[in-house]
Amino acid sequence: MNPHVITAKSTLDKKSKINNTLLERHQRNGNYFWRIISLLAVFFILGIIGFVMKLNSGFNDKVIWGYYAAMFAFILTTAQAAPMVAIAPRLAKAHWRRPISRTAEIWSIVGLFNLILFIPILWVLPSLEDRRRSLWFWDAAPGFESVPVFSPHIWTTLALCSLVFIGIMLLWLSALPDLALIRDKGTGWQQKVAKKLSKNWIGTSKQWHWLYHRLGILGALYFAMMVFVHFLISIDFLLVLVPGWIDALLPITHAANALQAGVATMMLTMFCLRKFGGYKDYIGYDQVWGLGKLLFALSLLWFWFWFSSFNVFWYGKKPNELSVIDLLTTGPYLIIFIGVFLLNFVFPLFMMIWNPIRRSFWGPPLIAVGVIIGTFLDRIRLYVAAYSVPGIGDPNVSKHALPTHSLPTHLPEISDVFIMLGYISGSILVFMLATKIIPVINIWEQREVVMYEIHKKFHRTEVKILGKPD
Amino acid sequence: MKRSIIGLFLDENLAADALDDLRKAGYEMDEYEVLTGLPYPEGTFGEDEPKHKLYRWPLFGAVCGFIMGFMITAGTQVAYPLVTGGKPVLGVPPMAIIMYEGTMLGAIIFTIIGVVFESRLPRIFMGAYDTRITEGYIGVTVTTSEDKIEEAEKILKNIGAEDIKRGWE
Repeated sequence: MNPHVITAKSTLDKKSKINNTLLERHQRNGNYFWRIISLLAVFFILGIIGFVMKLNSGFNDKVIWGYYAAMFAFILTTAQAAPMVAIAPRLAKAHWRRPISRTAEIWSIVGLFNLILFIPILWVLPSLEDRRRSLWFWDAAPGFESVPVFSPHIWTTLALCSLVFIGIMLLWLSALPDLALIRDKGTGWQQKVAKKLSKNWIGTSKQWHWLYHRLGILGALYFAMMVFVHFLISIDFLLVLVPGWIDALLPITHAANALQAGVATMMLTMFCLRKFGGYKDYIGYDQVWGLGKLLFALSLLWFWFWFSSFNVFWYGKKPNELSVIDLLTTGPYLIIFIGVFLLNFVFPLFMMIWNPIRRSFWGPPLIAVGVIIGTFLDRIRLYVAAYSVPGIGDPNVSKHALPTHSLPTHLPEISDVFIMLGYISGSILVFMLATKIIPVINIWEQREVVMYEIHKKFHRTEVKILGKPD
Repeated sequence: MKRSIIGLFLDENLAADALDDLRKAGYEMDEYEVLTGLPYPEGTFGEDEPKHKLYRWPLFGAVCGFIMGFMITAGTQVAYPLVTGGKPVLGVPPMAIIMYEGTMLGAIIFTIIGVVFESRLPRIFMGAYDTRITEGYIGVTVTTSEDKIEEAEKILKNIGAEDIKRGWE
């Protein structure tokens, strides 16, 4: 018998085992899963009720929409940034990201959900006619309207739609070979869906070649669009609403926060998949440590960006700058700011330098929970504070300075609590439902690594050798 | 009329040998293909490296988008030249935002069109296929005219294909 065939047979067995295990897990319909789905659906319905309650109050009073805008920004910062965990290490050809890259890409589907949540904000944000400062050189004098009064609305919507579209394309392309596997080997409704989604995929060399190129190009475009969406959202839907808040670093701070929160989201998702999803054999220390290092670096970056902005205002001490510091940091939202500072910077810094925590499986996810809560509080601090500034949408109120007195803290109403609970649950619900159509672990990339992986005796131990195709 | 057959192999070397023999027998490059459930490194089976021109699409789209963005912004301002406070007629900072977004939008739209064109989607004639490909078998398909299909089948059999399947049966 040809010795090559014997080796090929054992490799085939390994690949088949991966196929069968992951496919069986993907198609399994546990009660546990559907119970969680039902619970999330109930919370989501509460969110819809909260939204209807909010709608009854109309769009004129901007302050009541602060928590809503914060929720939109929170989902943009966490779920819509999570695909970056798949994109960046894939471009760097890192092997450790293989088991988690699909999970990260599935989060891009939540972008579609967030796009729907974005629609009411278009009504909340007034047109440029209220004479606020903006990126858009618009003047109210007759004959001087150089740009449409709804320019922020138009361009941000276009950018957000593009981001969501690229994210979904990226997910679909990356899932094509796995959908073909479900088409060929799966059963039930999932097979029918997979058949529709993977129609033309047969695995020719050309198709594989193009798949790699497309994933690279779409990944780069997703990153570029994500940064741009954060730029527009942080300027047009946040910064310009606060008179005197002039901060060139805010857009990149907003985007860097998203990278940090995206990594934290993935860390937590990974932990849940390992602990409750039955993927213990696929998600291990490599992934926790790989993401842990990124989380640590991004937490340091959080401080760097925050201090760079804060320093300008604090050192400048002009009346406007002091008012902005009061509004966002030391005034009505001081307690929230302390929470953000501790959870996004101090906690990750001091926990991650402590070896027993850094090297454990539960430590980095625990820090990730802190970062997600910190990001949530940060979005509330910024957006609720910005939307509580009096005079938004009113051309008769001066947009050059904040009121000299401290503004009151705007506490959430019952509808806000429903919206917060409902929209977070809605995001997780969309993610979990998507995992029923697309396998949460990238099956083809798991099988691919079998080709490049050998175990070799090295003196008195055995080492794993991994090849990297160019 | 075109006919298609697929030979299934367990060993990569045998699949590569099959391709060599098909080439020697005078089959053209577009008449045979390797099907795999995994992305093997280019050239594993001795096949020619696929050439693509996908990178041209986003570049072309970006240029078109940039020009569109420039024309919208500069064109509007030049058409209605209103000098405000002695400032130049063309305000570059707001123009740059729209030009950037136009560039990105052009690049994205053209990339999507490019992906469809370069993939030759939809593939009208699928050829022979076997679901064992997704299990890890390597398939060598030959899609050619009716008179040449028998010889191809013979080549695949001689090399040691585990199974041969005719696409038309």
